[in-house]
Amino acid sequence: MAEIEKKNPSSRRDFLTAGGTALGAGLLFGRTSDALAKRKQLKRGEEIPPWVKFSPNATNPPYPPRQMPKPGEKIHEFDIDVSIQIHEIVPGIKIHGFLYNKTLPGPEIRVPEGEWVKVNFTNRTAEFHTIHWHGIQLANEMDGVPLGTQWPVGRNQTFTYLFRAQPAGTHFYHCHNMTPLHVQAGMFGALIIEEKNNFLKDVFYYERDYTLVLSEIDTNMVEVQMNEMMKSMAAMEKMAESSTMMREMNGRMMGWFRDKRAFLSAIASGYIPPYMPAMTGPAPTANFNFFMINGKSYPMTEEVRIKSGESIRVRLINAGAMPHYMHLHGHDFWHVCEDGAILQSPIKRNTIPVFPGSTADIIIHGTNPGHWHFHDHSDISTTNNGVFPGGMMTMLMYEDAEKLGVNVPDIIAVNS
Amino acid sequence: MKRFFILFIFLALCNRSAKAISAHPMPIPEDPSTEPQIELNGAGIATMDVGRASSPGSSAKNIGIINDDDSSLSASASQRLYDGGIGSFTIGTLTVDQAAAGTGSPLFLNQAVLDYQEKSYEIWLGLTDNPAAHLVDFPTLRADDLVTFTSPLNPYSNGQNTEDHLYSKVAAITFNQNLTYYENFHVQQLIDTVDAGSDPGVTSAGFNFEYRGPPGYEHLQFVRSAGFGYEHVNAAPSYGGINQVYAGGVINLKPSVTNLVDLRAQGITMFGSKLNQFSSVTDSFQADYNAMALSLRYLHSPFGKPASQIALTLAAQNYIKVSNANSYAIALTGVKRLGQGVDLIGQLLGQWRSAALEAVQSPGVGFEQIFQVGLDFNFDTIFNQHIGPRRTYLNYQHQYIPE
Ligand SMILES: [Cu+2]
Repeated sequence: MAEIEKKNPSSRRDFLTAGGTALGAGLLFGRTSDALAKRKQLKRGEEIPPWVKFSPNATNPPYPPRQMPKPGEKIHEFDIDVSIQIHEIVPGIKIHGFLYNKTLPGPEIRVPEGEWVKVNFTNRTAEFHTIHWHGIQLANEMDGVPLGTQWPVGRNQTFTYLFRAQPAGTHFYHCHNMTPLHVQAGMFGALIIEEKNNFLKDVFYYERDYTLVLSEIDTNMVEVQMNEMMKSMAAMEKMAESSTMMREMNGRMMGWFRDKRAFLSAIASGYIPPYMPAMTGPAPTANFNFFMINGKSYPMTEEVRIKSGESIRVRLINAGAMPHYMHLHGHDFWHVCEDGAILQSPIKRNTIPVFPGSTADIIIHGTNPGHWHFHDHSDISTTNNGVFPGGMMTMLMYEDAEKLGVNVPDIIAVNS
Repeated sequence: MKRFFILFIFLALCNRSAKAISAHPMPIPEDPSTEPQIELNGAGIATMDVGRASSPGSSAKNIGIINDDDSSLSASASQRLYDGGIGSFTIGTLTVDQAAAGTGSPLFLNQAVLDYQEKSYEIWLGLTDNPAAHLVDFPTLRADDLVTFTSPLNPYSNGQNTEDHLYSKVAAITFNQNLTYYENFHVQQLIDTVDAGSDPGVTSAGFNFEYRGPPGYEHLQFVRSAGFGYEHVNAAPSYGGINQVYAGGVINLKPSVTNLVDLRAQGITMFGSKLNQFSSVTDSFQADYNAMALSLRYLHSPFGKPASQIALTLAAQNYIKVSNANSYAIALTGVKRLGQGVDLIGQLLGQWRSAALEAVQSPGVGFEQIFQVGLDFNFDTIFNQHIGPRRTYLNYQHQYIPE
């Protein structure tokens, strides 16, 4: 039997703390911040640790994806559910969302490369959901695409996902049922696979490790569509209580067909597909009004903290539908990973594009004490309901800024 | 600081000059306007009517008319308020009977109302639906097709416009518990077409209670809605006060998403009048009576989308103190949906009146029969949407936003 370590993913914040402690335990407890500061810099003439070598086979899964766990292999088990909850983006702006473990984003899952991940996913809503493991090289059946690789998970059903944590790097997970609505409604979270040989640490001596999940929402569209959806799903549940009504409910009503031929024959007998202009009117498009980092908009975003001389790793995950261009004031940083994979050569930049579905890891050196803005430079996204400043903006905050003589008042502005 | 002050003055001046062109200043002209949510609501209906019919004061017998009565258009503006409530204003109009105007179809203002609502209550003030007249909406082609059976009658109506019974000036508050039980308390200034020119002020007061089934279960649970109410009308001074009691509801006889059969029923009783004979049509709105309406409807929705509907409505009315004043009616109504909100419609309407009632309501025609065929078009469009409806699944089933 494989060894199972059962964890209960709690809030994202707890995960950050847990992750930070695990990674930095020895250092945080063993050294003073001054000592920490001294570790950072490579001395002149010191040899740079070797960087990743190019291999045409680097896209191959490190382990065969269709393997099952063998005795002795470690399985990390998580319970994740989805329920309808209220989430506050900024004071005064609350939404009904589909939330994994009642948080937005869902809990961060952090596991060592090559070990196993077992997720017991329970749906506590009337709507159908799944979890898709974005960027993971797993068995097809575990990919979480409803009506593609699995039946969608219904109310009070539990679907167990099992896969090996590969490839290493920054990934995420999200619902793949009615994706445009469900992801906006909150169904996404970070999935961090820690490298077996973390040579980024050897090169950059980074200590703290932050995850920033970027997303946006059209709160009006989500409220309207979620209501429509939940209303019809509630109706379906009610129908399921009666055998006569059950008979009326069939795949055709849902817009589900066995194959293309069944779809065509339904059309021949009067079925009007939901995308027809006669059913939709003008196509409704999302008009995003709130832009979030880890589920919050500025000024409620959490600051990224650093000390002078410290290096930090920031993992940016774009779980939304718009590209975001994260710009850091007063610093250059190293772009080291894209979609979890280490770049052939790091790129020095001050603005990093993160495209929908992509992740990017950057290393920031604490070289310029102060409180520095870190925000999407596509400035439409630095607004709350159209009002600047807000949205996808946070601060790189030096914990020792004041000690080092930088006197930055701690101002919160919600209007300019 | 000084710079900001100058800027502020400049902005204030700009704002004032912009406002100068508006029709009427806001109570606080310094506060710039925030774009409200705009809702446009319309229902167009036109039919070819043939048959035998008559109306008060007219002598029409055999008819063949193009009927565009009851086409309506209303516009609302809504705003989310500082405390999370919703404020809105609606203005609306509909076309009324040709008979009322001689030629053409004049417009009748049926909505000019302000509304304030929060989670547990709603207040409205202005011209709008008579709260006693809309407990059950029957599936006839037009809201006023069988109005003398389906609405408590307005003793201030001269009988020219059926809208007199359906709309009024209202001051009302409705409390609700979990968006399920509604208690409405109101006073009304009923439309007075009898004493045109005089202004009787508030003429009616009442309350009603209504239960509404959960959103999403409209076609699935046995009782969809049910309620009752009481209205006291301070009628024409010579007749004293009139009391109206009404109760009704909608039940799903065969709950179904594809083949629904439902039943509407409503009873009305009016008492307290001293009238024992009719000398005008208005008298028939003032005398004590009992009325009952029943409607059986079949709605066919293949693939879960409404495609066609057929409804049979039966109604009866009996005057208590006036002899020879009974009436029965039947409506057979068919609707074939051609697309979203657009229908081919047809209806057979028959109403029999005994002599005393015939004399004032349909002189010369004891048994009115009308066959109607036509088209309708309904729409409801929201622009600049930022306020969801209040009675939604999520607000109902989960925490209400905003609290
Ligand atoms: Cu989902």
